[in-house]
Amino acid sequence: MRAPTEAPKKTAGSASLALRRSALLVLLIAAWWAASLFSPPYVLPSPVRVMQRLVTLAESGDLFYNLFTTLWRVLAGFAVAVAIGVPGGILLGSNRTLGAFFEPVLPVMNTVSSAIWAIFAIIWFGLSPLTPIFVVLMTALPLIITNVWQGTQAVNADFVELAQTLRFSRLKTLVKIYVPSILPYFFSGARLAFGFGWRVSLVAETLGASSGVGYRLRQASDLIQTDQVFAWTIAQIAMMVVIEMGLLAPLERHLFRWRRDVRT
Amino acid sequence: MTQTAPHAPPSDPRQALAFRHVSKHFLRGDGSSLEVLRDVGFDVPAGSVVSILGPSGSGKSTLLNMAAGLLLPDDGRVLVLGHETSGTVDWSRLGYMFQDDRLLPWRTAVDNVGLALETGSMGKRERRERAQAQLAVVGLGEFGSSYPHQLSGGMRSRVALARSLVTEPDILLMDEPFSRLDAQTRTTMHTELLRIHRERGMSIVFVTHDVEEAVILADRIVMFSPRPGRVHTELSVDLAHPRLGTPEALTLVAELRAAIAGMSADWVI
Repeated sequence: MRAPTEAPKKTAGSASLALRRSALLVLLIAAWWAASLFSPPYVLPSPVRVMQRLVTLAESGDLFYNLFTTLWRVLAGFAVAVAIGVPGGILLGSNRTLGAFFEPVLPVMNTVSSAIWAIFAIIWFGLSPLTPIFVVLMTALPLIITNVWQGTQAVNADFVELAQTLRFSRLKTLVKIYVPSILPYFFSGARLAFGFGWRVSLVAETLGASSGVGYRLRQASDLIQTDQVFAWTIAQIAMMVVIEMGLLAPLERHLFRWRRDVRT
Repeated sequence: MTQTAPHAPPSDPRQALAFRHVSKHFLRGDGSSLEVLRDVGFDVPAGSVVSILGPSGSGKSTLLNMAAGLLLPDDGRVLVLGHETSGTVDWSRLGYMFQDDRLLPWRTAVDNVGLALETGSMGKRERRERAQAQLAVVGLGEFGSSYPHQLSGGMRSRVALARSLVTEPDILLMDEPFSRLDAQTRTTMHTELLRIHRERGMSIVFVTHDVEEAVILADRIVMFSPRPGRVHTELSVDLAHPRLGTPEALTLVAELRAAIAGMSADWVI
């Protein structure tokens, strides 16, 4: 009985939200365009000029090649961080002595700037794809370990006792009780790590790579091709928005549909 | 549907559970020892409902955990279907229902019930079918795909009951399972439990601190004294069901309450 009264309100709400978002976008572009009238193109190119540049970059294949190069590196670093961070977090969470011993390492790792990791990476790997991958890894790893570790602390002891009365093996208890309990923590950590990873990969690419969005950004800025700098910036923001709204948000809604606060 | 798991015949088929001179201590944080149970002995005849009635701190839950094999006694023996819990027992013949419903929030009602079948090698489809059938037995056939947070307290309690019954246990251990429900829902659950007991004939050990609940459900009441827990009185309840509000039941409740008043000052009833 509640659905019919709720549904129109909801669509009305999302329609007005879309309207407000579009208004904001139009306003920003208008302000940008107005400002560009009073500046030379190498300081602030007009939106039209940037759009034209985006189209030529897309037509040449340059745009997607570099976007996917960067994306691939972020995913590679992220995957290694997950492969190490998930078992690491579970290990630290399940062994108190080990956890207390390694605890100070994580905040220290978090304070090291990604630029410093990039410089180390250049020393160790030179101008290679390994440099951005390494930087993504070192940024994502502490975030994932910390969250998984927290997740292990949040596992309900009553559920573990339930598993005991059902005579579950250790492996079964891990798979059926621990993993689902930790998953929300892992997911929020992974999302954070992926966002950070994307940003630091650009830093790493500007310093130590010969392809990728970060490399092309620095190249454009060196040649004072300001319209290209804008075009790459817009392209990478668009890519992040698509991944976030098209993949991660729906995935989270699906995985955690059992939660009271998530509306499907 | 019958239990297919093979098992050795118990040495005394008339006793589902037997406690013999059971004592238990726990170590406290400061290193001192806390005596929880002292020389406890009683039987749970096969097919009967035995209520363990006692104030908090009389070791009732400890006793159930021993029956479930999660704890071993310091002294004495606990026999499940004639087998000592320190040896090999077919644990699949026991069901356990906790004080809280303990439903996994990320599983639907039917998958929560099916959890109890995931110990063995039963296929996913059969588990689902059995879980669904068991949900229907407790009156929740329509709610299999609901998540726990979508269900009321009484419904969640029914799901938990279905989970403890789905393995078709010979012994059902219940640790104050309805104590968090409102009075009306609790009465409904009592009726449901007695109906299922009539149909299945399993043995039930029902722990409670509520005198009325013990009188309504039990064929036999084992009354415990406070810490260290000892058997204070054992009595049979030979009253016809339903007992709620009948003069005989009310008299028995009053008698038991009087006995308790003489025994313990801190037993809130």
